[in-house]
Amino acid sequence: MHESWDIQRISEILPQRYPFLFIDKVLEVNELQGKIVCVKNVTINDYFFQGHFPEKPIMPGVLIIEAMAQASILFFSVIKPHIAQKKPDYYLGKVEAKFIAPVKAGDQLIIEVRKLKVLDTAGIVSATAKVDGKTVTQAKITFGVKVDDE
Amino acid sequence: MATDFAKIQEEIKQITAEIAEVDAIELKDDVEFAEMGIDSMMALEIAAAIEKKYKVVIPEEDIPTLRSLQNVYQLLETLLKK
Repeated sequence: MHESWDIQRISEILPQRYPFLFIDKVLEVNELQGKIVCVKNVTINDYFFQGHFPEKPIMPGVLIIEAMAQASILFFSVIKPHIAQKKPDYYLGKVEAKFIAPVKAGDQLIIEVRKLKVLDTAGIVSATAKVDGKTVTQAKITFGVKVDDE
Repeated sequence: MATDFAKIQEEIKQITAEIAEVDAIELKDDVEFAEMGIDSMMALEIAAAIEKKYKVVIPEEDIPTLRSLQNVYQLLETLLKK
């Protein structure tokens, strides 16, 4: 069990930066249960709303998946710190997703990632994004991890 | 029992072919996964699919040892006997 993480600690692990950093805060990490819970506050100031869509601000589904993938990297860094400290490349392999409800400006996206299988070089996780307790997106994500000097 | 496992081998090959997006005919039992374009991410997916289908648990430390279909057959045969 860990205390919540602020954006500084998140930025130490995630290579993504503005405008592509989609985790604001980590609420909970539980290694024993194999899960992490993160927050992305969706605001009308998010740059993607300029185009998606000017009259109807809806967060693009692919960016919800990206937020889930970033939460997965944070989780990986907790259970495999010896790999994460080598600053590996993380890449998506496969995503199976279900989009249940739209995410709008003003929503607080709570992203929970649970471990299914995680190795040093790859992982499979299940991710759920909720707004006000209701599931808006569900996904199963397979990712790869590659350390540069290999 | 031998024929039963032959059927399972065929099923595993089919699962592998689907994950690797190749024809099952192209997969050889004794050729290393890497040579057939199957990377560690796909090997992990194969392990997860086998766990689900045969209701077994493949220990995470055993997954990196799955380097060919032959390895997968052997591991599953051992797990199913338990």
